[in-house]
This record gives sequence, structure tokens and C-alpha cells, in this order.
Amino acid sequence: MKNKAGDLISYLMIVLAGIILMILLIGITGNSISDALSGFIRGIAGSSYSVAEVFVKATPLILTGLGVSVAFKSGFVNIGAEGQLYMGAVTITALALAFPNLPKGILMPLCLLGGFLAGGVWSLIPGILKAKMGISEVINTIMFNYIALGIVGILLQTVLKDPNNYFPVSATLTDSAGLSILIPGTRLHSGILIAVICAILIDILIFKTSLGFRLRAVGMNPRACLCSGISVGKHIIISSMISGGLAGIAGVCEIAGLHHKLIEGISPGYGYLAIIVALLGGNNPFGVILAAIGIATLQVGSLSMQRAANVPSAISSIILGAIVLMLMARKTIFKKLIDKKEEQG
Amino acid sequence: MSQILLTIATFLAACIRMATPLTLAGLGEAFSERTGVMNLGVEAIMLCGAFSSFIVTFWTGNVYWGMLCGMLAGMIISGIHAILCIKCKANQTIVGLALNFFALGLTSFLFLIVFGQSTILPQCKTVPNFEFPVLGKIPLLGKAFFTHNIFVYLMYLLVFIFLFIYKKTEWGVIFTAVGEHPSAADTAGINVFRIRYLACMVNGLLGGLAGSYFTLAQLGFFMEDITAGKGYIALVTVILGRRNPLGILCSALLIGLADAVQFQLQTMNIPIPSQAFSILPYIAAVFVLLFSAGKSSDPSALGIPYERDNR
Repeated sequence: MKNKAGDLISYLMIVLAGIILMILLIGITGNSISDALSGFIRGIAGSSYSVAEVFVKATPLILTGLGVSVAFKSGFVNIGAEGQLYMGAVTITALALAFPNLPKGILMPLCLLGGFLAGGVWSLIPGILKAKMGISEVINTIMFNYIALGIVGILLQTVLKDPNNYFPVSATLTDSAGLSILIPGTRLHSGILIAVICAILIDILIFKTSLGFRLRAVGMNPRACLCSGISVGKHIIISSMISGGLAGIAGVCEIAGLHHKLIEGISPGYGYLAIIVALLGGNNPFGVILAAIGIATLQVGSLSMQRAANVPSAISSIILGAIVLMLMARKTIFKKLIDKKEEQG
Repeated sequence: MSQILLTIATFLAACIRMATPLTLAGLGEAFSERTGVMNLGVEAIMLCGAFSSFIVTFWTGNVYWGMLCGMLAGMIISGIHAILCIKCKANQTIVGLALNFFALGLTSFLFLIVFGQSTILPQCKTVPNFEFPVLGKIPLLGKAFFTHNIFVYLMYLLVFIFLFIYKKTEWGVIFTAVGEHPSAADTAGINVFRIRYLACMVNGLLGGLAGSYFTLAQLGFFMEDITAGKGYIALVTVILGRRNPLGILCSALLIGLADAVQFQLQTMNIPIPSQAFSILPYIAAVFVLLFSAGKSSDPSALGIPYERDNR
């Protein structure tokens, strides 16, 4: 019998511990806690710009987090979302620079498709290696992150480099390869809509189709699948492809909606955060959206706290890490609470 | 002729310097993985080692206290990983990644608190280079391999110690048993949990030492994200070297070589993007994984928490 109350209390305690940790850390810096907290609140809810900023930050997290959770479902641990995101970003840059005269209605879908394929292929290779040869994907996907970063660096110094710029950046892309701004005066672009649509599609795919059922089955019990004629390898390959493709779309949205040109370091570790997003979201598409918004809130808020009260924004990584660690230990820490309730229920 | 030989010797010495932290961390990680605990948090261990060794050396002015505290900090981080993965049976990959976030935030936070935002990085003492007695006198080889600092000599020593333990002592068999078949080891009266905790602690100690190499031997200062992904590269050396101490040393040297070539080219102003060389070790790692497929050397219980009454 599942015990909802004990679970809920334990989660609330962890959130509370996170908040206490935050206040403690602010206290250590010697700054006024009320100043810092009001800076935090203003950063996430002070104006339409700041609210929009949270969603801007959440967009790539939703997409990469969705990708990681799809892969998780079939037992593929994808730590390579970072590299896949960069491959998507490279693809849109190359396409937009190659076909600057195409109308938006053709170019943008082309870029999204290209980004999906590029990210997908980047994750497909470790996927095939795992499915066909049994090579652990954990190390391979990390390797592919570094290789992707290297490729971006090489391209930005050679073919994609803007000849008029001293630094390794690409030329600014045409407007037809841009996502429109949703609310004037903010940076919120339609990438968030793409992310939500992707979440709905993935939800349908995973929970409403037979392919989704097979993907989940492969993740839960590969041996049973083998015995009942579901090809384990094939489904790992499919899910790794979808997973990488979503990360690739995240890269496309970052370029088309935010940067409008390829630079090194467009992703401050979204690919690694994505794993935490997927974990906090319980590998459920709508949970992923919530988790991504939560993490984005924490990050945007702490950046604003840094500006307002001089509290280092590194605080957000500490709290995030600590919360995940507590979640991992939850069943042991709150053993009494969860077990006792179970007996009563 | 002698000029060329001298250049080669200097070049080899540079490779050794690059390879030292990777080997140290790799040896620890390989030990931990042999007993079945995969720690993706090497980066976190190294960062905390680098930070605490720097700050202690800065305050006391004694590099050996710094090294000691670096190792201690590494052990604390690895200890958290061990408790979560062994006692709470959590997913080792996720705990490792979360620790990386935690450590990155913690070290930059504490550094900013102590030193504030400034453009001038505070400096600390570094360990001196010295010629190893007798061996350092060998022409060329002495210059390449035996004119280094204490970290490098420690690394040589540790490679042999681990080699000896794995191949020649009963301990080696015990560690392998715990990694390959924990319930059999348990039946034979080996305390699986204690062995795994021990391996995690050694991993933390060596990872912390590797971290303090950056601050105390290479740079003499600390900055945010000083390890810059070296922890993940240490994981590569473990895979490339197939968890064998000599293999780890060789693969770390290979990665060091790619690094050294890259620096050399940059100083020579050759118009090839430096990334073309820096990605070579990663591509090599992928190919090594590819060609070693099928005859996997992974311990069978790698990444799986051990539960006594679970069959």
C-alpha cells in the first residue's frame, strides 16, 4: 500500500531543509537576509520581464529534461544532452547561413527537423553501441559531450566563423531563422510553446501508444521483453534517438529564440542539469515541466539576489545539489515516518 | 642531436606533469569501481581537494598541511557518496552528478566569501621540484621522469603499490570478489559493506590529492571550476586503462601527450584550431570502448547496491 501522507511530509521536509540551507548560506555571507530574499523574489516575480526570464531559462531545461527522461524510461542513461544540444545549435546555424533567403515558414521547420536529427544522431551512436555491443552509455555520452564541444570550437574558427569578427562567433542569423517574441519587452520566445508541445507529444507517445509501452517495458525488465519477443536493442536505439533529438531541439530554440548566432558556451551545463530535471520530475513529461520551472526559478532568483545583495549566485548549485542528495537519501532518513504510516494505512 | 633529445625529454616531462592528477584520481576511481561502486563525482572530489588544499596552504604557509586537508576534503565528499550509495542504495550516477553540482557551488561560494570578488587572484606556496636521488642522474630519462615534485613520485609509488595489491595479495582477490559477486563474497565471510566503504575512502583520498595537485603544484592559486572537467577525464583513463594501474598510467600519459601537443602547436602559431587535438583523447576513448566490446572487463556488480537478503 502506497503511503501518500508520509511521502508528502518527507518531500516538504526536504524543501524546508533547502530553504533553511539557503537562509543559512546568506547568513554566512554577512548580508541582510531580508534584502537578499526580497532580491530573490523581485528577480522571479518583480515585473513581467523577470517572470518571463524564468520561462526563458526553463525552455532548454524542459526540452533536455524530457529527452533524458524518455531515455531513462527504456534504461538508457543519457548524460550527453549537453553535446546533443550543441549539435542542434550547430545545425540551425549552418542551415540558416546556407539558406538565408528561404521564407520563415520553410526555414524554421527545416531547422527544427535538422536539429532533431543532429541531436538524435549524436545520441544514436552511444545508443547503438549500447544496444548492439553492450558498451556502457554513461562514459560514451560524456565523451560525446566533449567531442561536440570540440567540434563547435573547430567550426567557429573555420567554416562558421564570422570573417568580420575577431572572436570565434558566427555571423548573426537572418530573421527568418528566429523564433518570435511572445510578450513585447521581454525575452520570452515561442520556444516555450515548442517545449510544451513536445511534452504533450512525449506524454502521448510514452503512455498512450504501444511503442511507448514497449519502451517502458524494455526499461523495466529487459529479460522479460527478450522472452516475449520485444527487441530490447531496437527500443533502446529508438529512445536514444528521441532523447537526443529533444536536446537538439533545445539547441535550436536557444539559437533561434535567444542568441541569434552561434557562440561557444551557449549552454551553462543545461545537459547536466537535465538529468536532475528528469529525476525531480519523476521522468513524467508534466513533472519535467514543473521541475524545469522550479530549477529555473532558483537560478534566476539567485542571479537577482547576487545583484541585489551581493550574495554569490553559486548558492543555487549548492542548494540544488543538496536537495538532490537529500532526495536520494529520503527513504533512509524518513524511514520511520514512511514505514509507520504504512502500518496504519 | 643532443638538442633534439633534450626537447624530447622536456616534452616527456610535460606529459608526465599533465598525466599526474589524472593518474592519481584514476587509481582511486579504479579501486572503487573494482569493488562495485562507480563514482561520477570525481570532479567534485578533485574540486574540494583543490579548494581546501589551497586555503589551508594559504593560511598556514605549509604545503604539506594543504595536501593533507585536500585529501581529507576528498574523503568527506567521497564519504557522502559512499553513504548514499551503500547505505541508502541510491543511484550512483545521479548521486555523483549531484555532488558535482554541489561541490562546484560550494567551492566558488566559499572562495568568494573568503577572498571577495577581485581581479588579482591570491597566491599560495607551491611544492618544489627536486631531482630524485640516483635515478635523476640518468641522462635524459632522469630529466624526463625523475626531476619532478612530490606528487609525481607519489604517483609512481602508488601505481606499484596498487599493482602489487591487485596481483600479489589476498586483498586483491577480496576486492575483485566484492565487485564481481558480492553475495558470494558475503557468504565467504567478507564484509562487503566495509570493503566498499574502504574503497570509497581511498578514492576520496586519492581524488583529493589529485585536486590539490592543481593548486599546489601546477598553478599556485584557486579559481572557480579550476578542475574544468578533469574529473570526467579521469574516468576516461579508468576506462582506457581497463582499471589496471599501469593501464591507467599509460592512458593518462596519452591524454597528457595530446594536451602537450596542443600547447606546443598553440605556441608555434599553427593555424589549426586547438580543439582538433584536444578532442583526440575522447575519440580514442570511444574507439577503445568499441574495440574492447564483448570482452567487457566491467565488474559484474558495478553500479548495483548490495542488499544482503536480496537474491
